[in-house]
Amino acid sequence: MAAISKYWAPKTLEEAAQAAGAEDTVLLAGGTDLVPRWTKGLLAKPETVVDLKRIAELSGVARVNGEVRVGAGTPLSEIASDPLIRAAAPVLAEAADRVACPQIRNRATIGGNLCNASPAADTAVPLILLDATLELASWARRSMKVRDVPIVDFFRGPGATVRAPGEMLTHIRFKPLSKGVFAAWEKFGTRRAMEIAVASVGVAIQVERGTVVRARVGYGSVAPVPLRGRNAEAELVGHALSAEVISRCEQAARDEIAPITDVRAGATYRREIVGVMLGRMLERAGRNRQS
Amino acid sequence: MPDVIDKVELAFTVNGEPVRLRVAPQDTLLHVLREDLELTGTKYGCGEGECGACSVLLDGKVVNSCLVLAAECAGSEVLTIEGLAANGELHRIQKAFVDHGAIQCGFCTPGMIMATCALLRANSSPSEGEIQRALEGNLCRCTGYRKIVDAVRSLAQGGVADA
Amino acid sequence: MHDVAVESVAERETRPGTLIGQRIPKLDAPEKATGLARYIEDIKLPRMLYGKILFADRPHARILNIDTAEAEALPGVRAVITAADIELVPFGYGQDNTALKKEKVTCIRDEVAAVAADTPQIAAEALKRIRVTYEDLPVVASTDEARAPGAPVIHAKVSDNTPFRYDYAHGDVEQGIRESDVIVEDTYVLQRVAHCCLGTSGIIADFDADGRLTLYSLTQVPFLYKHDLARVIAVPPEKIRIIQPPIGGGFGSKLDIHPFEPICVFLARATRRPVRLVFSREEEFLATPTRQPMVIHLRSGARKDGTFTFRDVHLLLDNGGHTSWGATTPWISMRTFSSLYRVPHVRQHVDVVYTNNPYACAFRGYGNPQATFALESQVDHLAEELGLDPLELRLKNAHEGGDTTPQGMILQTCGLKECLQTAARNAGWKEKRSASNRQSSTVNRQSSVVRGIGMASLFHVGGGAKIYRSDGCGTILKLDDFGGITILTGSSEIGQGSETMIAQIVAEELGLPLKNVRVINNDTDLTPWDVGVHASRTTFVAGNSALRAAREARRKVLEAAAARLKRKPEELDLQEGNVMDRTSGKPLESIGKVIRGLHFGRSKNELIMTTDFYEPASTAPDERHMGNISSCYAFGTHVAEVEVDLETGVVKVLKITAAHDVGRVINRLGIEGQVEGGIAQGIGYCLSEEVKVEGGRVLNPTFTDYKLCTAPDLPELDISFVETHDPAGPHGAKGIGESPLIPVAPAIANAVYNATGVRISELPLTPERVLSKLHEARGESDRRLEIDD
Repeated sequence: MAAISKYWAPKTLEEAAQAAGAEDTVLLAGGTDLVPRWTKGLLAKPETVVDLKRIAELSGVARVNGEVRVGAGTPLSEIASDPLIRAAAPVLAEAADRVACPQIRNRATIGGNLCNASPAADTAVPLILLDATLELASWARRSMKVRDVPIVDFFRGPGATVRAPGEMLTHIRFKPLSKGVFAAWEKFGTRRAMEIAVASVGVAIQVERGTVVRARVGYGSVAPVPLRGRNAEAELVGHALSAEVISRCEQAARDEIAPITDVRAGATYRREIVGVMLGRMLERAGRNRQS
Repeated sequence: MPDVIDKVELAFTVNGEPVRLRVAPQDTLLHVLREDLELTGTKYGCGEGECGACSVLLDGKVVNSCLVLAAECAGSEVLTIEGLAANGELHRIQKAFVDHGAIQCGFCTPGMIMATCALLRANSSPSEGEIQRALEGNLCRCTGYRKIVDAVRSLAQGGVADA
Repeated sequence: MHDVAVESVAERETRPGTLIGQRIPKLDAPEKATGLARYIEDIKLPRMLYGKILFADRPHARILNIDTAEAEALPGVRAVITAADIELVPFGYGQDNTALKKEKVTCIRDEVAAVAADTPQIAAEALKRIRVTYEDLPVVASTDEARAPGAPVIHAKVSDNTPFRYDYAHGDVEQGIRESDVIVEDTYVLQRVAHCCLGTSGIIADFDADGRLTLYSLTQVPFLYKHDLARVIAVPPEKIRIIQPPIGGGFGSKLDIHPFEPICVFLARATRRPVRLVFSREEEFLATPTRQPMVIHLRSGARKDGTFTFRDVHLLLDNGGHTSWGATTPWISMRTFSSLYRVPHVRQHVDVVYTNNPYACAFRGYGNPQATFALESQVDHLAEELGLDPLELRLKNAHEGGDTTPQGMILQTCGLKECLQTAARNAGWKEKRSASNRQSSTVNRQSSVVRGIGMASLFHVGGGAKIYRSDGCGTILKLDDFGGITILTGSSEIGQGSETMIAQIVAEELGLPLKNVRVINNDTDLTPWDVGVHASRTTFVAGNSALRAAREARRKVLEAAAARLKRKPEELDLQEGNVMDRTSGKPLESIGKVIRGLHFGRSKNELIMTTDFYEPASTAPDERHMGNISSCYAFGTHVAEVEVDLETGVVKVLKITAAHDVGRVINRLGIEGQVEGGIAQGIGYCLSEEVKVEGGRVLNPTFTDYKLCTAPDLPELDISFVETHDPAGPHGAKGIGESPLIPVAPAIANAVYNATGVRISELPLTPERVLSKLHEARGESDRRLEIDD
C-alpha cells in the first residue's frame, strides 16, 4: 500500500539540503498542493517527507542590499500583510491575498506556489513584473551551493521547473518598484473567491514625460508557464499610452499567449479576456499619470 | 503486504489539553482529530481544501485540517469547535449563530465558527466585506450566507476580542 | 380527510406573547453549533467495518468477468461482493436499476463490486485489486444519439431507448393559435446541477441476532424507503428500523433508494458485522444523481391586449443510464406550464430518453425551476413583442384566490398579484425600468458595464402533493406530569427547521414554554407514518397533524382544568404554563398541577396522550394528469437587479427582491433562512453551476471546478412575506421549501436581457456564454467561442 513511510522536520537548511537529493524524497512546505495528492492515494510509492517549516531562515521578509528578500517558506497570508512587501511590491501582496481563501493562505507558501508550477500560480506574474530572482540551493561536496535563476527562466512547463533533484528554492529577491511605476495585477474567474484563475494579467509601467520608458507585462493561465509578455511590452516602450497604442498592445498580447480549452474556459475566451484586462489596466495607467 | 511505516511520536495541545499520539506520517490532522481523538465536530467535506468544513485553528490561524499532516503539528496548539464552549455555556460566537438562524443542516457550522473565531481575534470590528472575505473559504449550501454574516456582524459591534 | 377547522385563529395568533410569526432559533442549533451533533460519518458501532464501492470506469460496456481473488486476499478485507453474490431485485421508478450490475454497465457511476474492510484505507486499496474485464459498447452520449436509427439499445426491455412519454392538454391549442396576435417560440436548455450537500452520502447497516436490520440512513422518506427497500434486500419491512441521524443537507437528493444503500446491507449480511459506507466528495459528484436536465421547446401566444392564449410545449429529458425520480419531474413542470397565469389552451408532450450519461433524481423544485425558466423567459419575450411592461402583462393574466386552474388545481388562496406588486414596489421596478428604457436596447454602448432589472414569478404546491396513495403525516403527543411535551412526528428534520416549527405550533396550542417541548422524528420504530420530506409539504401536513393532536390535548387539559376549578372550559385559556381566566387574563392554576391532578386523581386516573393522522383533502392526478394535487398552492415573485460587463460577459447580481405568498409565517427566522438559501442555490443554478459531462464522463467532480456561491457572492436581499391565511393550513400557513429557488434564474436572465438586449435561453449564464451571445448579437459571429461548439 502506497504511503508516506517517513516524516521528519529538519531545523537547518543544511540538513534539509542534504536530504533533498535522496531517492523518493519530497520537500513539504505549506502542503496545500501536496497533501491532497497523498490523501487521495495518488502516491505511486513510499516517500520520505521533509518538512521545511521548522527552518527559521526559510521564512520572513527582509531588506538586503536595497532589494527585498523573501524566504520561500513565507506563508501567503504573511506576504499579503507584510509592510515591506506592501510598500515595495503591492501587486505581489495583492496576488497573495487573492489566492483561494484564508485557510489556504495561512499555510501555502510563496515557494510552494512557485515550485508547484501551475501555469495559474498567482504569485508568478507579479514576480515577473518585478524581474525577481530565485535562489536555488543545493548540497554538494560538503557545502551549500546557491545559484540564481531569473523568474522568467524558472518554469519549464505545467508542473515543471528548472529545479534540479536535490535543489531547494530558498529565497526570492526583487528590487522594490520605483515610485513612479504604475503596477496592477488582476485575476479573472467565474466567482470572486476560491478561484483558480481562468486568466491573469499584470502590468508594471514607468512613464516619463508622457512616454513609457519601461514596461513589464505578465500573463497567467494562458500558456504552459506563467509568461512574460515581451511583444506587448514592445508595443508600449517609447510610446504614449494612447488609445491606439493600447489597442495594438492588446492585440500583441492576444497573439503571444497560447491558451488552451479546458473544463474552466475556452481558449478563445481566455485570449479575449487577456486583451480586455490588459486594455483596462493600461487605460487606468494612462489616467494615473502622476503615480 | 503493508509497507514499513515510521510512525511519528506526536506531542501537541488540543483544546488546551496536552495530547501524545503515535501517528502515521500520512495521517492528516483531520483524521487524527476525528478518529484518534474522537473529536468529530470537525467535518470532512471534500478532503482537498475547497470547502472549509474541516477548519480548525492551528497556532491561532485558521487552516483546513485536511491539508495538514498531523505530524506537522508537533508542539502546536490546535483549537477545534469542541474547544470553544466553556463551563457548559455556549461561546458568544456559537450563541450568535444560534440566535441569528445561521444554522440549518449544521454541517458547515463548525468550520464557519472557527473561521469566524480567527477573524474576530485578528479584527474585532470587521465590516460586512471583511466578514465575507474571511468566510470565503467556507461553503454553505443551506443558508445562502446571509444569516451567517449577520451573526458575525452582531459580534463585531461588541468590540472586545474575547473570541 | 377533514381540513383543520379555523377556530379563534385570528384571535389567538395575534395576541401578545404568541409564538406564531416569531423569530425562534432552531431547537437543534446549539448541538450543531458545538460540534456535538453526530452525523452519519461520526457514528461508530462496535466491530463496525467500512464499505467502499467499485464504480464502472466507463459509460457503456458488457461485464465479462470480475476477479476478486486478489482483493479478498488483502489482510483486513472481510467481504468482497459482486452481482453474483446477491439476489438482484430491480428498484426505482423505472425498475431498471439493481444494487450491483451483472450483465452490463450503462453509465459511468454504475456499481460493479463492493468491499467491506477494517479501515476505509484497506477498503480503498482492495478496490484497486479487483479486476473487471469489460467489453466496451458504443457510448450513447446524447438523446439525439439515443433516438437515431440503429442506436445501441441501452436497456433491453426498451428497444427505442424511450421508456416514458407523457401528454397533457387542456383547451384546444389550434384555437389558441388562431386567437393570438403575437406568437413567440424558443428552445431552452437546462443543465445538470449537483445537490452538493456539505455532508456526503452515507449509511450504516446493522443486523441484530434475530435478523432485525437497523439502518442509520439519510433518507428523507423513511417509511417509503423501508417499504421499497424490503424487497430489494429480502428483509420484511417489519424487521427494518430506520434511524435518521442529522443530515448534512437534503434538497431532494435522498428521496430514492440509491444502490449504495442495499449494497451496504449486503456487506453487513456477508460479514455479519455493522458496516458503514460513506462517500468521498469525488464519489459524491460522480455517483449521486443530479437535477434533471431538460431541453424545453416552448411556443406561446397572446392577444394584443396581453391576454395569454396558448402554450405548446415539448420537453426532452436525458434520462441517463437508469431511471430515478428525474423521469417524473415533468409532472411538476406540466403544472407550471398549465397553470402559472391563466391560459385557456395548453398542450404538452414529454419524451424521456435513455443515454449513457449520469442520471437524475429529485432536487428542490422538482422540474419547476426548469419549467419556470422557460416560461418566465418567454413571458418577458411576449411582453416585448406586445410592447407591454412585463409586470403589467403578468398582472393581467395572474390567477386570483378562488380560481380553479384548467388542470384542476383549486387556488383557495392566491397571493400572486400581491407578490408581483410587492416585489415590484420594493425593488423600485417602475423607476428602474424607465431608466433602462432610456438606454438603447442594442449593445452599442459607451459604457462597458450596464445594469438591468427583471422579474419572474413562481407557482408551486404548498399543501402537500398527492402523488402517492397517501400524503399524510401522523403525530403522537404526550404530556408528562410537569408540563413537558413529547411529540412523535413522522416528518423528518433535514435542516430546514420542521422540528422547531412543530414544537412552536404545539407549545402555542398548549400554552407551554417552547423549552418544554421534545420532538422525536428520527426513528421509524417510534414515530407514526409520514410520506416524507418533499414537495414543500412538511409545514402544512406535519404542522396540521401536530396542531390537531395538540388541539385534542388542549381540549383535555381545559376539560380537566374546568372540572378542577369548577368553571366552564370556554371561560379558560392556556398561556405561559398556566390556566388563565380568559376574560380577566388572570392566571388561575399551573398546567402542571392540572395534569398531575388528572393523573393522580381520586375518582379517575388519566394521562394526556393524543394521536392524529392528517391526510390533506387533495386528489391524486388521473390518467390525464388532472386533479387538485395539493390542498393549497404557493406563489411568489422575484425581481433581480444585475450588472453585466459587456466586455467580459460577467453577470453580477446586485440585488434580489422577493415576495412570497406563504399563507402565514410560523417561524420568521426559519422561513427567511429558507428563502435566502433557495436564492443562493438559484443564483448558482443561473450563473455558475454545471456538472459537465462529455462522452458520458463527468469532467468536474470537485468543488474546484463545480462552482458554488461563496459568501462574497451574496447580493443584497429584500424579502417580504405575503400572508393570505389559507384556511387549510396550520395557522393559515402554506409550504415554502422549494419556492425560493424556482424564479431566481429567469428573473436574472430577464434582467440580463433588460441590461444588454440579449436573451439567453441556456443555463448557466457563465461569462463565456454571455460574451458569446453578446458577440452574436453584435453580428460578430466570426468571433466564435469554444462554448458555442
